[in-house]
Amino acid sequence: MEMDALSNTFAALADPTRRAILARLAQGECTVNELAAPFDMSLPAVSKHLRVLERAGLITQRREAQRRPCRIEAAQIKGVVDWAEHYRALWEQRLDRLGDYLDELQGNQPPIKKAKSHARKYRK
Amino acid sequence: MTRLFNAPRALVYEVMTKPEHVRRWWGQLGEGYSVPVCEIDLRVGGKWKFVNRHPKGEVTFYGEYRELVPPSRCVFTEIFADFPDVVSIVSSELIEEGDKTRLIATVTYPTQQVRDMVVSTGMEHGAGLSYDRLEDLLAQLQR
Repeated sequence: MEMDALSNTFAALADPTRRAILARLAQGECTVNELAAPFDMSLPAVSKHLRVLERAGLITQRREAQRRPCRIEAAQIKGVVDWAEHYRALWEQRLDRLGDYLDELQGNQPPIKKAKSHARKYRK
Repeated sequence: MTRLFNAPRALVYEVMTKPEHVRRWWGQLGEGYSVPVCEIDLRVGGKWKFVNRHPKGEVTFYGEYRELVPPSRCVFTEIFADFPDVVSIVSSELIEEGDKTRLIATVTYPTQQVRDMVVSTGMEHGAGLSYDRLEDLLAQLQR
């Protein structure tokens, strides 16, 4: 997912009301009125949240006169999951490098490939 | 994430919290990588900021210290400047094991609800998300 789209997705997910709306939509399509029901919020306020979600590609709305059904778009959410995996890999790399640096600092032999996989045995 | 470092705990804590050390391992991923900015205000509520230069540009991370208990605990927030809405909390515990140090690092960010949604979405709408892969991934990012 390109950076702007992902950034929009994170901004959209940053709000707890919007996350709650998505959680409801994850169970199936809903109309705007049905979505607004659990919130102590005006219909225009809910619609505003829905527009943010729609612009981020997280939901689509159909304009069917009174009903206006909404559905979740799972592919966008998968982009968030992919990003999380990348972020975890980044942390693993940092910690590997921290270990190497500690060895260098103490004048130990920098680990050769074999020693490194030995050290990995200790990792959960 | 855990590691067993061949170093005493006080040294590990120092290496994790002093800029002159941090810039030598954070983002040091080989040729073309450097850390031109590495600022740390080491106190509860103090801010930190690192800029990683890599072959294709620069990325900035910043955050704030929440807890500092030298030499055993360090908790801070981490924000990737491109996504300021995503605030991770990084919690590090250092435990002595003989003359070595066990690091237990827990990175959490507000994905609990996203995860629940993704899992249910994956199952309800057949988005093709692998439940096992997701659970494994998210076990690493414990809440």
